[in-house]
Amino acid sequence: MKSKLACAVLMAPFFLLLVTVFLVPTGTAIWLSFFAQDQPGLGFGPESTVFVGLRSYVAVLSDPTFRGGLLTVVLYCLIYIPLMVAGALTLALLLDSGVAKLRSWAQMSLYLPHAVPGIIAALIWLYLYTPGLSPIIDLFAKGDIHVNFLGLNTVLPSIVNIALWSNLGYNMVIFYAALQAVPREVLEASVVDGAGPVKQALRIKTPLVRGAIFTVGIFTLIWALQLFTEPVLLSQSTPMISARFSPSMYIYDAAFTRNNYGLAAAASVILLAFTVALSYAVTRWTNRKAA
Amino acid sequence: MRLSRRTLLAAGLTAPLAACSTPQRRGAGGPVEITFWSALRGSQQVVDAFNSTQNRIRVIFQQIPSGGQGGYAKLSNAARAGNAPDVATIEYPQVPGYAIDGVARDITDLVTDRIKQKLLPQALKLTTFDHRVFSVPLDIEPMVLHYRADLFEANGFQIPETWDDYRDLARQVKAKFPDKKLGLFPTDGAMQFACFAWQAGAQWFDTGNGKWQVSLADTPTRKVAEYWQGLIDEDLVFRNASDSKQHDAQVGQNLILTRLSGAWDAGAQMRARPAQKGKWRIAPMPVWDRPVVGTHGGSTFAVTKDSKEPEAAMEFIEWQTTHPDALTARLKSGTSSQYPVAPGLVAAGAKAFPGEYYGGQDIYGLFKQEADKIRDGWVWGPRMTATQRVMQDGFAKAGAGEGTLIEAVREAQSGTMPDLKALGLSTEEVER
Repeated sequence: MKSKLACAVLMAPFFLLLVTVFLVPTGTAIWLSFFAQDQPGLGFGPESTVFVGLRSYVAVLSDPTFRGGLLTVVLYCLIYIPLMVAGALTLALLLDSGVAKLRSWAQMSLYLPHAVPGIIAALIWLYLYTPGLSPIIDLFAKGDIHVNFLGLNTVLPSIVNIALWSNLGYNMVIFYAALQAVPREVLEASVVDGAGPVKQALRIKTPLVRGAIFTVGIFTLIWALQLFTEPVLLSQSTPMISARFSPSMYIYDAAFTRNNYGLAAAASVILLAFTVALSYAVTRWTNRKAA
Repeated sequence: MRLSRRTLLAAGLTAPLAACSTPQRRGAGGPVEITFWSALRGSQQVVDAFNSTQNRIRVIFQQIPSGGQGGYAKLSNAARAGNAPDVATIEYPQVPGYAIDGVARDITDLVTDRIKQKLLPQALKLTTFDHRVFSVPLDIEPMVLHYRADLFEANGFQIPETWDDYRDLARQVKAKFPDKKLGLFPTDGAMQFACFAWQAGAQWFDTGNGKWQVSLADTPTRKVAEYWQGLIDEDLVFRNASDSKQHDAQVGQNLILTRLSGAWDAGAQMRARPAQKGKWRIAPMPVWDRPVVGTHGGSTFAVTKDSKEPEAAMEFIEWQTTHPDALTARLKSGTSSQYPVAPGLVAAGAKAFPGEYYGGQDIYGLFKQEADKIRDGWVWGPRMTATQRVMQDGFAKAGAGEGTLIEAVREAQSGTMPDLKALGLSTEEVER
């Protein structure tokens, strides 16, 4: 009886937060997406709230700008996630192998960017990317190399770069912790069997931290699909980032530029469903491989 | 006191009787307070002038950012929270949107014949939908050609009267000066482009047979897009945002010879670049064949749904739009060159506008001549801010060499239709 009470008390904060910051907003969005303030015809008559069924969903899915945003974010994931996982894992393996000197310093300086809030990070990079302000661009220009970090084809890599800078250290720590848990006997056995450091890293350590790789991959995916802060800030300096660049920006634009809350709600629900479906698919696929 | 206040207003008897006929918001005997939001320059001076001419209505003014800089979001959010100002400033393209959202009140009954008689009917048409008036226009801004008279004279260039002339001149400029260009295709200029299309006879939106008929890429628009695409492909014009440091530099460093923008821009130029005093003159916008033009810019005043004093709000709006003192106060601030919708004010405008910057040219006389050439029948759409943004995203790409202008226009239409459908409006995409 007492343990049940303790259990309830300890879990209460979780459920409270789950309800207030996830279930209630999701429910509200779903509710909003099925209703609209309608006026028939040209729309100048009195408004009335009516049930519109799937109308807002049809509108979102038939909107080429939304589909374009979805495509952009998929492309972003395809560039960002492999780079992130491979980069963080490589760094973690290097630290774990003992090759790197000053391990704790390296670890801290790699982790530090993660402590910078996303919006500040984007501002710093905005400064570094903006022609006329950026010392980096000036430096390149002195060497007669002209780079435009915010051009048509460079803007997505530029965003990937910000995300990598922010999150590489954090994910590296996760991998490093997982590597620390690899039994030392296994490693010693592999050395006895003649594995060099590279072979050991790739054939022994990496497979043993597969669980951590999967976790990092799925979290990165969920985070990446909600791409918002970086492009919104960069859009102030380049017209190559449209107001509906990513699905999250589409939602923001629908609500606050177009004052179309039904549309924004429907797009939110679609993004949620897309994220859940993709995460589920990745989980299933990984589990089958593991089995 | 059951006598209708509206009747009194209509009869023009408000001044002597209003003290007892206008309901008072706070404390008996004090003036009625109304709030007013605007991003227009010189508004504070106008409000001060109004407040000092009478003591029944006290206007509390708040300067807000311009629409695109957050002013419209602020207004929408305030309206959603139920505390929009009594009087809001809305540009023409956004009027139907705010009318549909119920933010701009139907003021058909408040706009008396007396007010109507003082305003250009073609301007009032742009704020009238479904036979209902939703806002009162302040200024109407025909597009004009601002040109560098000094550079034109030094090189023997003729003012281009037609778009063919404009292209020929652009070629001459390019041949003579490797770094200079005749003009700019503004990649952030969906509104300039709309004006070009308007002039050419386009009809992006129409409200016939109770439906929003949408045809952004109609025949005249395709003609205009093809023309500017040609100028871009031949590298005859700059292609960057007009609201940018780059464009400031082009104008400031004498790299650009003409600017195509509304009449209001004469004042903006004067304020932004005092050093170029005397170098600019203004000419009519080049034409295709018929002598017609479109408009670029211009604002209107709406009474919002949240106003508790619509009659007082309307009295203030009437004064602002039709009283010479209002225009004088605005122009005296030295930052505006708006062309008033009330023809009766043009003389006051010409007198109040400091003319030295344009070498004493009678620019108000020119504006008047151009305002009479505004092509009738243009209708703005229900979600212009969004339509405009999607179009500009395409323009920016076209400027960088990916895609074309007409593709940007088509994208703007396909990115607008889902919006209109989600709003529950009756819509129809038509081919013209």
